[in-house]
Order: sequence, then structure tokens, then C-alpha cells
Amino acid sequence: MSLLIGTFTIGFILSLLALGVFISFRIFAFPDITADGSVTLGAAVAATLMVHGTSPVLASLAAFGAGMIAGACTGTLYTRFKINSLLSGILVMTSLYSINLHIMGQSNVPLLSVTTLATQSEQIAVKLMKGATTFDLAGWEVSVRDASVLAAVGLVVTLTGALLYLFLRTNLGMAMRATGDNVQMIRALGVNDSNMIVFGVAISNGFVALSGALLAQYQGFADVGMGIGMVVWGLASVIIGEALVGTNQLGTTIVGTVMGSVLFRLLVAVALRWGLSPNDLKLITALFVFCALIVPQFLRKKRLRIAHA
Amino acid sequence: MLEIQGVAKTFNSGTPNEVRSLCGVSLELAAGSWVIIIGTNGSGKSTLLNAVAGTFLVDEGTIRLAGREVTRWPEHARAELIGRVFQNPFSGTSPSLTIEENLSLAALRGRGRGLGWGLKQSLVGRMRDEVSRLNMGLENRLESAIGSLSGGQRQALTLLMATWLRPELLLLDEHTAALDPKSADLVIALTEQVVARDQLTTLMVTHSMHQAASLGDRLIMMHRGQIIHDFQGAEKRRLRPDDLLARFEEVRRAEQLDESAAEMLAEQYI
Repeated sequence: MSLLIGTFTIGFILSLLALGVFISFRIFAFPDITADGSVTLGAAVAATLMVHGTSPVLASLAAFGAGMIAGACTGTLYTRFKINSLLSGILVMTSLYSINLHIMGQSNVPLLSVTTLATQSEQIAVKLMKGATTFDLAGWEVSVRDASVLAAVGLVVTLTGALLYLFLRTNLGMAMRATGDNVQMIRALGVNDSNMIVFGVAISNGFVALSGALLAQYQGFADVGMGIGMVVWGLASVIIGEALVGTNQLGTTIVGTVMGSVLFRLLVAVALRWGLSPNDLKLITALFVFCALIVPQFLRKKRLRIAHA
Repeated sequence: MLEIQGVAKTFNSGTPNEVRSLCGVSLELAAGSWVIIIGTNGSGKSTLLNAVAGTFLVDEGTIRLAGREVTRWPEHARAELIGRVFQNPFSGTSPSLTIEENLSLAALRGRGRGLGWGLKQSLVGRMRDEVSRLNMGLENRLESAIGSLSGGQRQALTLLMATWLRPELLLLDEHTAALDPKSADLVIALTEQVVARDQLTTLMVTHSMHQAASLGDRLIMMHRGQIIHDFQGAEKRRLRPDDLLARFEEVRRAEQLDESAAEMLAEQYI
């Protein structure tokens, strides 16, 4: 049971990453690799601040801000200096590696003796449960600590997801969505599309960094290598989410992306349980995204061939 | 209202693909006039429209609009003054956004966009009225994605969006060329309505000799990046599609003459 709760918790945490990837890849059609670096950036900023006594909430917000700066750099390289979008992301991601080491001062910052959002939600839960350490859920014995962290993460994801939805329906948010959809039109309506892209990639990386900050607090450490392969992970979640909900309505795709992240994490947990070597995880993830990208094309061709026959 | 002075533009300059699209075009539009531009393929008529819209910056010359010099303004800044409808019905709307979201984007053309709620009740009310005037039954589908509509419907909506806030200048770039005849007639009727109602200064490129003869109060014919004919007033009103076709034939003959004359001269002197 504790394993299942842990899976859900990580799924929810990484759904913020998936939402970030959703913003860049789906709304802006901008393949943003920066995310690999900004996961770690968020973790590094939050961990370092918390070690120095900053409150976990403030530290997480600071991580969001740091991610936004990283994203704005990528967006500026792309729009202002006309560097290819992938290369812009790679440049920022690579430089973030050194920056992250500088922020942390070492390659790994442990958070075991530090107050984090995880320890805070545990404390609140223990108070609420009047000291009980486990409770009974439909016959399962559930640890209060695990459940409290899951509840806290769920709350954060619900809040940020709702905020993202509301934001994307404001005048500014709609202009951003239209920028990814039809640049010619949005320019003709007086929107500076370069600014929209910079801002959009910034917000995307803000979400990714927040995800990194929460991940560090959950697992109890920030590590300089924790971001590797995260873009592909996020993309897999977005693709699963789209397959789950099937429509392209804004609200449902956001919910779908969160569900996709949790489901993907569950699949991974099951695969690991069945004996998949953790070393093969990234390979399998990449293969999965590869299949998800080519299968629709393949099906379309097949359908065309049938239609012609 | 619109003053174009000696505007020139060369694309791919300095390469074998160099194209001199505009060669010193000057044109003045009075407020409230509706000017039709016709011309052969590659004559520079769409390029002239794009130069005014700011799709690119011109090499030479100045463009003044509504008393302001906009020659160096980027495209998005000029949008404050200009409403546009494109040839491609898919260019003017955002397919994954709903009809009402597209219209609300147009309701802020050229203005700042903040964190205000996009779809205010009063705005949606006005949308329903305006969209029902298109007679397409779209007023009950405001929440469907624009991508699900036909080209004619999208073009009618683009026209509505371009004129939602009264533009100083309306640019129509062959906006019915990609539509079926019935939709084209409908969009033209809507165009006449809105131009007359709001007294819009309009610059319209068209391929249709029928439209060129029946619409507008002034007609300009372009060829090789220059204005070769300018019909105004009574002269414009008398023009029939056949007259225009005759003018095109003249241009074609002149071209042939140029080539055959050049050939003859080459034979004799080289």
C-alpha cells in the first residue's frame, strides 16, 4: 500500500513537469529541452534555500521563479537571437548544469534534517489524527505520513492546475494559446509573438522547476543528475493524457495530462515490480514516446491504404 | 489617410533569386475610400498590402497611416490601426480556440492584454448579436473550436474580427479567392455591409474582374512592381470586367513586343 501511495505521490509531483512540457510542446509547439536542467534547478534552489532556513513554501516559489528565468533565457535565445529552438534549449540546459552545481555547492544536498513541505504536512496530519501513525482505509493499513504527503501534493497539483486553466482563459493566456496556434493571426491582432513565446517558455519552466522542488522535498535530497531524461518523461505523460481524454478542450487536456503522469508512473512501478531493471527505465521511456509518436502516422497510412483498396 | 511614398522592396537581394517586387510605388488613399488593386501574378499587389501591414520593412520610401509615420513599425504595432483578412481562410483564425475566444482576441486588437477574464458576459452578448448577423447559424456554436468550421464561415468570422474594433484601414488580400462561389458572394456581401456601415478606408486585392468592376470607388492596376493604371470617380464607375480584361491583354502584348523587339535587336547587333 505504501508503495502504491508513493507511486501516486511521485506521479502527481511529476504531473507539474508534464504540465510544463504540455505548455511548451503542445501550446507553443516549442520543443523545449531546458526542462531537463530546470527540474534540477528547481530542486537545487529550493533545497539550498531550505538548508539555509527559508520556509518550504517560499523556497518552492523561489524555485518556480528560477525556472521562469531559465525558460526566459531559452525563449530569448530563440526569439531574439534566432537560434534554433532545440539548440536554444540545449544551450541553457547545459549551462544550468554548472549553475546548479554552483547553487548547491556540491553535487548532492540532503534534506533529511530540514523542514520541508513533506515534513510539514506530516506534522499537520499527525496533529489531526491525534498521534495515530496509521489508519484503516478499506481494510488496508495506511501510514499517516504517506497519506498526508500524497494529500498535500494532490492539493498543490489541483491548485496549480486550476490556476493554469484560469490563466489560459485570461486575455493574456488566450493570446499565448493563439500564438502557438497561428502566428500570422495573432500578429495581425497586435500581439508581439516573440514576447508571448518568451513568457510561455518561462511559465513552462516555472512549472518544471516547481516539480523539481517538490520532488527534492519528497525524496529528501536534491541531486545534480536528477533532471536527466525528464523532458521525455513529461512528453510521455502528455501523450498518455491525450490518449486518455481524447478531446482537445483546454480543461480536459490539463486534467488528462495530470492523469497521464500518474498512469505512466503506475505503469513504470508495475514494470519495475515485474523485474524491469531500473537502468533500462530511460530506454523504455524513450521507446515508449517513439512508439506513441509513430503509431498515429502508421495507423493513418494503413487507413488510407484501406480506403484506397 | 494612407500615404505611400516611393516604396521599394527587393527580396533575396544580391542572389540569383533577386526579385524586385515593388519599384517606387506611391499611392494616397482618402479617408473612407475603397480602393481595388488588380494585377498579373507577381505584379506586387499582395506585396504592397504586406508592406502596408508591416509583414516586412520596406527598403525605400515611407508609409504614413492616420497621420502617423509607420514605416519602421513592426507588424504587431501596426495592428492597432489595421484590420486584415487573408487569402487563406485558415490564416485569420486560431483553429483550436473557440469562436468566442477568437472574437475576444479580436476585441483587443492592438491593445494591452492583461490578466482580465477573456470572455466577459457583455462581450459574449455582443458576439451573439454580431455573429447572428452573419446568417450562418454560428451564434449557437460560439463554444465550438473554429477549426471545425468551413472556409467560408472562417473567412466571414475573420472579417468580423478584423472590423470588430473600427480599423483606420482595412486590408483585404484576395479574401474570397480560396472560397466556393456561394461563400465568396456571401463574404463579399458582408464586406460591402461593414465597409459602408463603418465608412472604412479599404485596400482590397482581387483576382476577380467582376469584383474589381463592381466594388470600390477607385481601381489600381499593377504590373512588375509599379502602378500602371489608376481609375477614379466616373471613370471607375464606367469600368466593366471586359474593359479590365482588355487592359490585361494590352499589358500582355506590350510584354511580347518587348521580348520580340529585344530578340530582333539582339539578332541585328550582337
